[in-house]
Amino acid sequence: MSYIEYVVAAYAVFAAVLAWDFVAPRIRIAQLLRAVRLVASRRAAAAAVVDDTAELSR
Amino acid sequence: MNPVLRWFHQLGSPPVFDRFARRWAPWAFGLGLLTMAVGLYGALFVVPADYQQGDSFRILYIHVPSAWMSLAVFGAMAIYAAIAMVWRIKLCEILAMACAPIGAAFTVVTLATGSIWGRPMWGTWWDWDPRLTTELILLFLYLGVIGLYGAIEDKRTAARAAGLLAIVGVVLLPVIRYSVVWWDSLHQGQTIRVFGESSIDGSMLWPLLWMVVGTKFWFVGSLLARARADNLRREAGKDWVRALVAPSGARA
Repeated sequence: MSYIEYVVAAYAVFAAVLAWDFVAPRIRIAQLLRAVRLVASRRAAAAAVVDDTAELSR
Repeated sequence: MNPVLRWFHQLGSPPVFDRFARRWAPWAFGLGLLTMAVGLYGALFVVPADYQQGDSFRILYIHVPSAWMSLAVFGAMAIYAAIAMVWRIKLCEILAMACAPIGAAFTVVTLATGSIWGRPMWGTWWDWDPRLTTELILLFLYLGVIGLYGAIEDKRTAARAAGLLAIVGVVLLPVIRYSVVWWDSLHQGQTIRVFGESSIDGSMLWPLLWMVVGTKFWFVGSLLARARADNLRREAGKDWVRALVAPSGARA
């Protein structure tokens, strides 16, 4: 008997878990860097607003 | 100072570790994939079918390396946790906690492939056999470490608490290893020996060795990637992380 369907199922589980293990930290790193980039751009925008106010008051 | 020792000390610096992990994780993943590809080719297309189990024995080539990794990763996690606890090395806390999801993944593969293999060979998906039960407890320990680390807000305190669980959990490893010797078990006994002659035929052994090496490389790649993610999360407010996302240095 070949039991090929069991072999396919087992290898599919192995491939799926390894794929998740590969992708999960990459998604996390991308999310973290995106958040840092967003904070940096907001700070830059806030600093620009402060500069405009200073110019107007003179 | 000895250059190797100096390099090791420098690696404890978060930006240095980030550069190291970013550089070497893809190599480790690549080597892991390449090595496992050779092993899987041998396992699926070269090795002959077993005279009793037919093709179902080919599950061995993913089940056994995953089972070994589920134990080895827990051991590595406990060693990192012990070093972090004694010397307060932050990087070792990060590495210990990065081990948990990888070990849990290998344990899930072990339990799932064992169950799939057990159905045609034993006639059941699951049995409360000592080996299967202790491996399931190992999965719960991994989940406990992940849960504890996630539940406490201060990550240094969280890593210490979860690390303690990892260190205590090490007592389970010899129980899993010798469960088939100490108790009557539905699970087969040891057929592959590092020291001494294995009872598996030599023609069936070589893909297993490739898979064992491949999963080790994969673990290194995954450990570096996950540790890098945790390192970035802890250091998110620092200048070196902001420099990473600056237009000239943006890299994921």
